[in-house]
Amino acid sequence: METAKILVADDDKEIAGAIEKLLKMEGYEVIKAYNGMEALDALVSNQVQLIILDIMMPKLDGLSTMMKIRDSKNIPIILLSAKSEDSDKILGLSMGADDYVTKPFNPQELLARVKSQLRRYLQLGDKDSNNSANKIVIGGICMDVEKVELTVDGEPVKLTAKEFKILEFLMRNAGCVFSAEQIYERVWQETAYSVENTVMVHIRRIREKIEINPKEPKYLKVVWGIGYKIEKI
Amino acid sequence: MVTKLRRFSRKKGLKIFSFALTVFLLVSAIIQTYYIFYASNLNIESLFVKDYVESDGFRYGEITPAINDVLNKITVGKKLDYIPKYFYYYTDGEKYYNNITLSEIIKLKYHYEYDGEIWFPKEKPDDYNSSDKNDSDYLEAYYLVGSDHIYDISHNEAQDGEMKNYTLYIGFSEEHMQQKQQEWNSDRSEVLSKVKLLVLSLVMSLICIIHLITVTGRNPEDDKVHLTPYMDRIYTDIQFLLIILTLVIWFGGINNQMNYTSDPSDVLSMDQIVMMIYLGILSGIALIICGVLFLSMVRKLKARKLLKHSLMYAIGSGINKYIRSLFDIKRFENYPLTDSLNRRQIIFTVASGLLVFLFTIFSLLSTILWIFPLMLEAVVIYWYFYENRKTFEEINLGFQESLKEQMKSERMKVDLITNVSHDLKTPLTSIISYVELLSKEELPEAARDYVNILADKSGRLKNIVSDLFDLAKSTSGNLPLNMENLDLKKLIEQTLGDMEDEIEKSNIRIKTTLTESPVYIYSDGKKLYRVFQNIIGNALKYSLQGTRIFIDMEVDNKIVNVVIKNTASYDMDFTAEEILQRFNRGDKSRTTEGSGLGLSIAESFTRACGGNFKVEIDGDQFKVKLRFTISGVVPLPEMDN
Repeated sequence: METAKILVADDDKEIAGAIEKLLKMEGYEVIKAYNGMEALDALVSNQVQLIILDIMMPKLDGLSTMMKIRDSKNIPIILLSAKSEDSDKILGLSMGADDYVTKPFNPQELLARVKSQLRRYLQLGDKDSNNSANKIVIGGICMDVEKVELTVDGEPVKLTAKEFKILEFLMRNAGCVFSAEQIYERVWQETAYSVENTVMVHIRRIREKIEINPKEPKYLKVVWGIGYKIEKI
Repeated sequence: MVTKLRRFSRKKGLKIFSFALTVFLLVSAIIQTYYIFYASNLNIESLFVKDYVESDGFRYGEITPAINDVLNKITVGKKLDYIPKYFYYYTDGEKYYNNITLSEIIKLKYHYEYDGEIWFPKEKPDDYNSSDKNDSDYLEAYYLVGSDHIYDISHNEAQDGEMKNYTLYIGFSEEHMQQKQQEWNSDRSEVLSKVKLLVLSLVMSLICIIHLITVTGRNPEDDKVHLTPYMDRIYTDIQFLLIILTLVIWFGGINNQMNYTSDPSDVLSMDQIVMMIYLGILSGIALIICGVLFLSMVRKLKARKLLKHSLMYAIGSGINKYIRSLFDIKRFENYPLTDSLNRRQIIFTVASGLLVFLFTIFSLLSTILWIFPLMLEAVVIYWYFYENRKTFEEINLGFQESLKEQMKSERMKVDLITNVSHDLKTPLTSIISYVELLSKEELPEAARDYVNILADKSGRLKNIVSDLFDLAKSTSGNLPLNMENLDLKKLIEQTLGDMEDEIEKSNIRIKTTLTESPVYIYSDGKKLYRVFQNIIGNALKYSLQGTRIFIDMEVDNKIVNVVIKNTASYDMDFTAEEILQRFNRGDKSRTTEGSGLGLSIAESFTRACGGNFKVEIDGDQFKVKLRFTISGVVPLPEMDN
């Protein structure tokens, strides 16, 4: 696999520099840009596989830059921002970002996200075998129901039977919220009686396996006081 | 001894006895007076004049009637309708009339001689009959006996007549006078005994009254003045009026009844006895009412409240206060616009009142001058409205200005939070990133330790900054909320499930007592999760090993209460208020983890989500009490696939 080229756009030179060094350590090629215009210019002359884009930038801000990029390119974009509200994240993701990382970020987490996005992007580009009827695909999660296999961003993940069943149930009904009782009755095939804890513990385990940051899950979410759901992406 | 006596005199029983005695004595005095003056035949004069001959009773009761009768008989021929007990001899130099000879009458011990002029009608009617004659023609003449002269006090001037000089002798026999003197003496002794009794009653009642006046309002225990609960709340002037009213009714009642009783006689008649009973009852009631009111006034006088506690004083001071408050401009000291409104209002009211007064006066005097106050009033009204409108506009302007200012400052607050947040987070991102890079370098042992510390601290700084901005947003009311109907019971269970690792690690068990059925509240689930996470996390961190954390939840009439209790592992030397203050932490000595904002965030988020948050510290028990209003029960939507 040839080394991927990553564009890092942040008006703070030190942060851009730090990200550059981190990525280079992992063997990626990095191009830096300090505002939106520079980022767009850099894209013209370079074949880039992933973009890390800061939202608050002079001249052209991250969101506008992203919209311009999205006009022509489908490469993964990870947004970087000091804004940590849910509404900001939802706005960024709905405008075409593949991931959203808030500042100050954990460098390891950023790396993990970069890797996962790249894997997905490159695999999707390589083989388009996800359309099989036995496979459920949500974002980077790919579930093969027949083989009882699960890959997250191409990486195989091992789940227990119950965990797999829970995830399958939720993925088949992505976007819907289910209560612990409903999940329990489907998965355990028993009458549910005070099962909140049992289900919650399973959900947490699954999250630890499929999420990059289990504390800020991207896929498997708890709807507090109501139930659980898989985000429809 | 003196104090003992004083105490005794102030005893309640004695006071009541004294009051009753006073009423009894005064009533008896009134009845006695009535008896002496109106019911009995006793002659009071006998008390003061020893000899009957010297008495007015003799002079006006026997001599005057005798003279009148004799002179009337002679002048207008009025006949005597009784056989006279006296002797008379009349002469005008020509004629004489008598029932005894002159020499005999002069011999009598009790004879009286009168000289004077007397007027005779022209025709002396022998057949005098008042019924067929005009009364004014032959009016009886009345004569009053002075010390030794007769005064003609009425005479007829309708007819012609002539004046004549005359001499009149009136005489009484020895036996008659002796008999009268005896009667006089017996009357005297009887009246004397009655009066003695009366005086005694009055003196004794006076003593009782003095006693009552001195002891009323005083207790045996102390020397203070005690006002009686209900009686003394009546205003003084009302009390006074009541006393007057009672006396008027009493007097009217007696006076009215007195007209129907028979004249004095030797033996009491039936109606006189009834009258005495009636008098006694009426007087008793009147005396009790007056006495109670009077004593109340005395008490108030002792307490120096007699005048202050009157209706007139109350009304007066009320009006005074009201007028003062009208003209009190102190309230407007800091508000020049409302002050000018107030001043203008006072001027307007006073000027208008004055002009109306002048208008009335002038129009009553029917001078054309009334036109001037009318014109002036028009000017005043114009001035009042014109100036007020200007002031109102100014007030509106100021109000708008302050509203704008307020919105501006609100916006600035939001901007400040966002900008400061960004400015803090950007360098922190660099620090964390370079610490990470540094840790990947080949470093000596010591440097590696330092980098670890840096990594740790920068991580903590990240948490603090994040918490700080959550709190800032929440307390400034800029926390975006995603409100929905959710089950609080489920939320607590989910939180506990989410925190299971932490709970297991801490060796502290959690005992939950939740409701059987779901409890729906309208709130933001994610924020509430944060609340419970912080509270339970706090409890896990600061609980004594081996103790339990209790989470109790109960529903009480549309309200759900959640109480989280734990036993502190350290001495809680702070109050419930202090712990909620920003940056305060349960254990002041521990500064290794957490931002110290956990409880503050929990409190602020709870309030933002529409709940109540309260911390209680009871010995080693640390309690967090949460309270939410239950929303209408909305069942979880059924999802079928």
